[in-house]
Amino acid sequence: MERKTPDAALVPTLQLASYVVLAIGAIFMASRAGSLPASRWEPMGAGTFPQLVFSSIAVLCVAAFIMELVKRGIPRTTLQSAFQRLGALKSVLVNLGLFIAYMIAMPFAGFILSTFAYLLLAQLFLAPKRPVTLLIVLGVALLFSVGPYYLFADVFSIYLPRAQW
Amino acid sequence: MMDAFLLALGGVTEPYTLMLMAVATFAGIVAAAIPGFTITMAIVLTLPLTFAMPPMQGIAVMLSVYVGGLSGGLFSAALLGIPGTPSAVATTFDAFPMARSGQPGRALSLGLFASFVGSLISIVVLIVAAPPLALLAVKLGPWEYFALIVFALTIIASLVGDSVMRGLIAGLIGIGIATIGPDPLMARERFTFGYELLTAGIPFLVVLIGMYAMSQLLSELEPSSSSQQVSSSSLVSGDMRPHLWDVIKSTLRKPFNILRSSLLGVFIGAVPGAGSSISNLVAYDQAKRASKHPETFGKGEPEGVVASEAGNSSTVGGSLIPLISLGIPGSPADAVLMAAIMVHGISIGPRLILDHPDLVYSMFIAMAVASFFMLFIGILMMRAFMRLLNVPKYIVVPVVLACCAIGTYTLNNRLSDLYLLAAIGTIGYLMKKLDYPLAPLVLGVVLGPIAETNLRRAFQTSADWSLFFTRPISALLLALAVLSVAYSIYSYIRQRRLLAQRAEAAQNGAYQDDVSQE
Repeated sequence: MERKTPDAALVPTLQLASYVVLAIGAIFMASRAGSLPASRWEPMGAGTFPQLVFSSIAVLCVAAFIMELVKRGIPRTTLQSAFQRLGALKSVLVNLGLFIAYMIAMPFAGFILSTFAYLLLAQLFLAPKRPVTLLIVLGVALLFSVGPYYLFADVFSIYLPRAQW
Repeated sequence: MMDAFLLALGGVTEPYTLMLMAVATFAGIVAAAIPGFTITMAIVLTLPLTFAMPPMQGIAVMLSVYVGGLSGGLFSAALLGIPGTPSAVATTFDAFPMARSGQPGRALSLGLFASFVGSLISIVVLIVAAPPLALLAVKLGPWEYFALIVFALTIIASLVGDSVMRGLIAGLIGIGIATIGPDPLMARERFTFGYELLTAGIPFLVVLIGMYAMSQLLSELEPSSSSQQVSSSSLVSGDMRPHLWDVIKSTLRKPFNILRSSLLGVFIGAVPGAGSSISNLVAYDQAKRASKHPETFGKGEPEGVVASEAGNSSTVGGSLIPLISLGIPGSPADAVLMAAIMVHGISIGPRLILDHPDLVYSMFIAMAVASFFMLFIGILMMRAFMRLLNVPKYIVVPVVLACCAIGTYTLNNRLSDLYLLAAIGTIGYLMKKLDYPLAPLVLGVVLGPIAETNLRRAFQTSADWSLFFTRPISALLLALAVLSVAYSIYSYIRQRRLLAQRAEAAQNGAYQDDVSQE
């Protein structure tokens, strides 16, 4: 009953799609596991257990897909509602993008610079635009980029990544 | 035994260790009090700080964060009306009305004292239950161990989330992730597809940080949850004095409530997958049912605060029972504790208590000491915590995400783990949005290799697969696993039927109203 609108049908549709994707992925992995050589020392080789696990995932996904369709029918959603929902998650998506960029940049730019840039940009995007918050944002970015680097290096002798140039 | 106990006592009560534990308890309370920052995140982020410490000290510090964290949710629950962690949902029901009616100090000290007593009771149960269970577990063969893990995973899948099917799929995906990299017995490389990134496998802490911390933090940025930011100073004013003596007297005058809630918490904590967020609600519900004046619940009833807080804090001892005696973590937080012990080269399992009794005793003592710290730090710093609750989300989310990156890198000093974190975090958030429970997945990654090792050992011992069903304990555990799935499917169907009946009744009622109006 809650799935009458295209917006409410979005998650069930994506769940059905996820069952299909997972089932295909699991079948692929199960077949790869099957091609691992058998062991001479034991009845179960390195591939038997993963084959069992991935086959079970595939079976469960197919069962979940069929059960969902039988119980509630095909959910009807629209691309428009999907884009609307995506638009509402702007903060999350921007932050996720920034974090992925941060992870990619850290090995090259080093911990201090990449963390400072990430914290600065992420906070500037989220924080209310006021002069006081700008100061807070700068202070937090500086404290949490330089602070952990020297804390780990001097106290724990663990060296966080240094810049490659 | 006495030697080990004295060694543990000496280790934990060293002044430097005590100081670290006090700081850790404080940090645990603060972390759990900040909405969006969970206890698991706090424990994960503490882990790299303990690498340089001796095992006993490191574990004591992490347990202090755990104990502090279990009572930290109380502060935001009482002062903001928002549970700081999922384990303080029921605490808001009575602590918040009590604080708003001008008694914030009393509400907090009631919760803190209940948490303190709950933790102590759970430690006593842990001390009594864990050693005999471990002695029993040493005698279990690979058949029983495999069946035990199957049972644990089905329980987790059935208890967490809305759909058993998605819970089971998530658990199996976790086990599947754990099969990447070298196999646990012969170290044969599996599913690396030629990528160097995958040759060492996917470390379970990276999965845990990505799945749990990252997805939770990103969810905090969603519009509905971020709009709930409330300022504590604008809501709560009144008597901030703790009235500790009055609180102790009034709580101990009705000991059944606190005792029942604590024992419920211990039991729920000991069941894999059912953690403090469930015990908090169950203990509250039971207190309300047993009360002679249930109508006062939800309006600032002291018994409600006591029950909910004793209920969540007492899970700490309960959840350590399967970890110490069987080597099976029941929750992601326990899985991190397990990793912390393993980082120091100590293997976890039923032999832990036999091989390292000093470490196990130090865990018991550290939890008791941390409980005292939690009570005193909580009482003394009530006012300061009120200020700390106002840390805005635009600081918390990016800073904790950066801390997640530090935690991930320092685990193995491997840059490739950072790429794995970003990928797993994205997948974790996607799965959370699609309503897949993440706890079974994370525990699947931990339990998968144990399950595989035992299954293959069983077949190395004998190729007869029927032994899984003919050995009594193994058969019993497998039967329980099937029962747990069947029961959760049955209760799901019953719930749906009830909802449908209610909707039908409401429709009929509306129709009859229309007819009578005509």
